[in-house]
Amino acid sequence: MIGRRGIALILGTLIAMAALLSACGDDATSTATQQPAASPVATATATTAPTATATATATAAPTATPTPQPSPFAGVPGIVNPNNRGWPRQVEVLNGIFEIRAKPARIVTVSIGHDEITYALVPATRVVGVGGVSKDTTYSNVAEIAKAAPSISTEPETILSVKPDIMVTSAFFNKEKVAALERAGLQVLVTDLSGDPAGRRNTILLMGYIYGEEERAIAFAKEIDDRHKALQSVVGNKPSKPKVLAVASYGDQIYTAGLKSTEGGIIEAAGGINAAAEAKLEFNPVISAESIISMSPEVIIITQPNDSGDPFKDQLMKNAALAQVPAIKNNKIYVVDPKLYTTLSHWNLRGAEDLAKILWPQDFANKQFGGFSSP
Amino acid sequence: MEATVGQRKASGLMKVSRHSSVVRRLTVGVALLSLALLGTSMASMSMGPVNIPVANVASAMLDNVGIDAWQHTETEALVLEQLRLPRIVVGILVGMALGAAGATMQGLFRNPLADPGIIGVSMGGATGAVLAIALGLSGLFYMALPTFAFLGSLAAAFVVYSIGGVGGRFSMATIILAGVAVSSFLGAVISTIIVVEADEDSLRGILFWLAGSLDSRSWEHVGISAPLILGGAAVILVFSRDLNLLMLGDDDARSMGVRVGLLRPMLIGVASMITGVAVAVSGVVAFVGLVAPHMLRIIFGPDHRVLIPVSALGGAFFLVAADTIARTVIQPAEFQVGIVTAFVGAPFFIFLLIKNKRKSGVF
Repeated sequence: MIGRRGIALILGTLIAMAALLSACGDDATSTATQQPAASPVATATATTAPTATATATATAAPTATPTPQPSPFAGVPGIVNPNNRGWPRQVEVLNGIFEIRAKPARIVTVSIGHDEITYALVPATRVVGVGGVSKDTTYSNVAEIAKAAPSISTEPETILSVKPDIMVTSAFFNKEKVAALERAGLQVLVTDLSGDPAGRRNTILLMGYIYGEEERAIAFAKEIDDRHKALQSVVGNKPSKPKVLAVASYGDQIYTAGLKSTEGGIIEAAGGINAAAEAKLEFNPVISAESIISMSPEVIIITQPNDSGDPFKDQLMKNAALAQVPAIKNNKIYVVDPKLYTTLSHWNLRGAEDLAKILWPQDFANKQFGGFSSP
Repeated sequence: MEATVGQRKASGLMKVSRHSSVVRRLTVGVALLSLALLGTSMASMSMGPVNIPVANVASAMLDNVGIDAWQHTETEALVLEQLRLPRIVVGILVGMALGAAGATMQGLFRNPLADPGIIGVSMGGATGAVLAIALGLSGLFYMALPTFAFLGSLAAAFVVYSIGGVGGRFSMATIILAGVAVSSFLGAVISTIIVVEADEDSLRGILFWLAGSLDSRSWEHVGISAPLILGGAAVILVFSRDLNLLMLGDDDARSMGVRVGLLRPMLIGVASMITGVAVAVSGVVAFVGLVAPHMLRIIFGPDHRVLIPVSALGGAFFLVAADTIARTVIQPAEFQVGIVTAFVGAPFFIFLLIKNKRKSGVF
């Protein structure tokens, strides 16, 4: 017979077991919550070797702990703590480490590349002033949308007059003016722009983080990556690539685009070989007409507006000394839209798509490349 | 206070030479500089992004005069005829213009620091070209840039000249001061255009043009500049003896039959005109018009009958040599020739000045 003592013992045992099970459940939950606390270390590792970090984490606890999803911002240069999605947040840019106190509502950049990326990430109403070039339909891919924004110049007073919360600009912006704006209390973040796919993705994510538009930045970076991959899937494995030379003529000088140039990156992304880079030229040097002969391009692109590009094309076509240059002999010389080829924003991918249509007409004859999504 | 004849003779700036000595120095100077110019031009023709051996250059040149050597290819012939040769010929013409105009200005103003730009011609040409670039006119037709530059030079010279002639009598001091004022004003105009010009590519064109360049010169540039430069230089040469007499002082010159009131503005006008043409086809090439006459005065003396032709040839030699360096040292990219003339010319000039001062004690 089980007496009262027996019943009490059984009940006590059951309660103790329940308590023990409950305690086990608590333990499992607390492990998961601690992941973020451990993550800064993981992030620091991820900055240099993101893949290795992910593998190490997975190997350490393959089944016992759920695999933590790395932050989409991990490894993005400039973001101090990728797991901090709140405010204030810190970024380390070219001119130092900044703490951004709150989501900036009023933004200026005074840099066309930055303007183009900013308009892709935030509602247009948050851009409270743009420079004249961003409104110029010849050189700006956001000229239409930028029309609504007040015009500003690079002068600190005109920038301050639109009462921005933050200014994100390029390394080309005058350092003394940056200092003057900072003395006036404006946070000025100087960031790099990059034409290569990885750099472009990082720029979008960093700017999205600065603006507090993380989800839009992640989605937009994916859109750009996908379009880049789609282009590369066609042009990436071509057995023979044409030699392309980008030129422009200003004030009787012929400029080309070599290594480290925006146009050079576009030529390679479109499946061409940059003739100027092959000749060991860097950036955008001046060359002579004779250099065009020595580089012997199969395709020439003139990256300037039609009003000056067309006469320059005629000049090259009529030059008897250039008649044997393959591009000229085969009439493969094109005046292209400069705003797609000279920008350091995601629009240079659109330039690569444009050039791919020229270089590989059989692959892209019926393909219409459009613009990009809006926030 | 104007220096006396004796003081000017002692300074070496004015020395009237015997006829035989002039002929000897002229012959030696012209022969030496012509040889140097020919050698530099031949070397320049063989150097560049497209490799053309000297023998093939000679073959192509002989072919042009009907001697069939056929060692060169068709491409080599085209590169030489259409690209290198017109560039070299424009370099020779611009160098001649700047050298001759520099020697004339230094003589007219009795000032070894005078250069062809002293009366605002270079800045006038620069302003015309910068306006053409900024307004987008340079791309509209092929010769827009030189046309605007030449018109700018003429306009500046006309303004300075008009100011200098106010009251019916030309004053050299007024012309110099007016030249300084007009140059400063035009400099401000160029700066304003650069500041307000939003198009970065145009700015690049402006800045490179202001540094001077012989890139992309064609036979059309030769055609528009050769008659005016050669004609102008010939006029200056014809009046080189009178220029010598002008340096004795106006009264002395008049007593020797020189029509000072006519000659001085005429020489200023011709020197301005050839400088304007040079600026129109090459941009602002600094230093040649100042240094070439200076160096050659040290070597061949101050007599303008010798100095004018040797300065023209010396300027041509200097500019062609500088342009060869500019277009080959970092080929297939290239420098602006104005950068090279300053980099190469300035140290050499300083060396000559120091050497001459040690030798003679005065300059």
